[in-house]
Amino acid sequence: MSALLLKDYYVIFRQMRIFLLLILVFSCIPGTFYSTFAVVYASMLPYTALAYDERSKWDQLAAMMPYSARDVVLSKYVFGWISVAIAAVGTFVLQTILSFVWLSDVTGPSIPVILLSVCVAVCILDITLPLMFRFGVEKGRLLMFFIIFLVCASAGGIATIEQSSLDGGFYLSFSLVPAVIAAAVLTAVSIPLAIRLYGRRSR
Amino acid sequence: MNAIELHHVTKHFPGFTLQDLSLAVPSGTICGLVGENGAGKSTTIRLLMGALRPDGGQCTVLGTDAASPEFLSVKEDIGVVLDEAYFPESLNALQVGAVMARTYRRWDGKQYQTYLARFGLPEKKQFKDFSRGMKMKLAIAVALSHSPRLLVLDEATSGLDPIVRDEVLEIFNEFTREEDHSILLSSHILSDLEKLCDYIAFLHQGRLLFCDEKDRLLEEYAIFVGTADQADSLQEGAVVARESSGFGGVRCLVKRALVPAGWELERPTVEDIVLFLVKGAKQQ
Repeated sequence: MSALLLKDYYVIFRQMRIFLLLILVFSCIPGTFYSTFAVVYASMLPYTALAYDERSKWDQLAAMMPYSARDVVLSKYVFGWISVAIAAVGTFVLQTILSFVWLSDVTGPSIPVILLSVCVAVCILDITLPLMFRFGVEKGRLLMFFIIFLVCASAGGIATIEQSSLDGGFYLSFSLVPAVIAAAVLTAVSIPLAIRLYGRRSR
Repeated sequence: MNAIELHHVTKHFPGFTLQDLSLAVPSGTICGLVGENGAGKSTTIRLLMGALRPDGGQCTVLGTDAASPEFLSVKEDIGVVLDEAYFPESLNALQVGAVMARTYRRWDGKQYQTYLARFGLPEKKQFKDFSRGMKMKLAIAVALSHSPRLLVLDEATSGLDPIVRDEVLEIFNEFTREEDHSILLSSHILSDLEKLCDYIAFLHQGRLLFCDEKDRLLEEYAIFVGTADQADSLQEGAVVARESSGFGGVRCLVKRALVPAGWELERPTVEDIVLFLVKGAKQQ
């Protein structure tokens, strides 16, 4: 699987430098929506990697190599998790620096908000990746709109929750626990489903 | 031991069926897979690599069923070159090498570098900027750099200029000097197959018309050039297929054993045999 992760890293890093810069810019902008957006948006990177795989017909070559369906599927999940984690850590670090150095009047990053964003990003991966493995990125264009909607709606939703929690953080804490549980349950269901759907391609 | 064995393999697609395909490639030999576009060559290769599941029958490669979970580790011993090199476009040769080093346990980085130098491939140029010939050379370099015992080559020499093609064929020849090394090679360039192969398997519309030793084929068949009357006078079954050569003349593929002694016959090429057999199959 490390080979597939390395391949995705090479592909994404070269092709998506501007996209990565955008994530960093978003994470630097003060305000919950933008920082959340950066983290949740990072969950879309596996689809970009899948799209490049499809364009180069890498799947046909990968089917000839000693990669199992599990390796192929899991590598995209892991790639998504790593992307989300980097965006989350990047957001936290950059916002901390900004709040201390340049914008001392602005409050620092909220760890619960970032954690909630991570959970939502993982849920988006869990819902959409099996469908992408079943239909492919080309056929799944409509699904892409759904994913973009999920990303924007999630970022907006988290921003709203954070605004409502300013008095005591009740909503935020209330949302975090079910979000963690949802992410764990969806992941446990999504990965075997994606492996099964990917395996159907060889029939 | 056979490197590849297909037993009554069947695979249905809408509009195409690979029917009851049985063939064996003995270990240490080179087998050429011949057929028109859409005859089923690539489907056969995907089936024997476990990338497709057969609807019926069994594919065994290096002694392991291609549909079994154990086949994943057997893939370490197989170098594959497809009709196009499907590496990600933004990667360069060095990055492809780095990915393959994590893919194959027996990846030989030095060997890979040697092939890159031998083929004159740039290390840092993006794959999308490679010519078709360079792409195929990179795929061949990758296929040869993890100590495979079997090479599966799907149109691997297409797009290569004649000089490089000759060099690549020589590399394939060197590869089979090891006793247990085998090659399955599908190609449209029949002269390549003639130069290289020990066995020729011929697929036509999803059916295997024959799989035989090349030398035996060249012995079994002959070309007769004469008049139509002479061809008609031959016993039934002697003329496999014929073509008119104008002014009442014919050129026929004949079975040497069924032609009376004393008749002047030409030695056919593999290309002659295949083209006449396709013609014969269409006439039937």
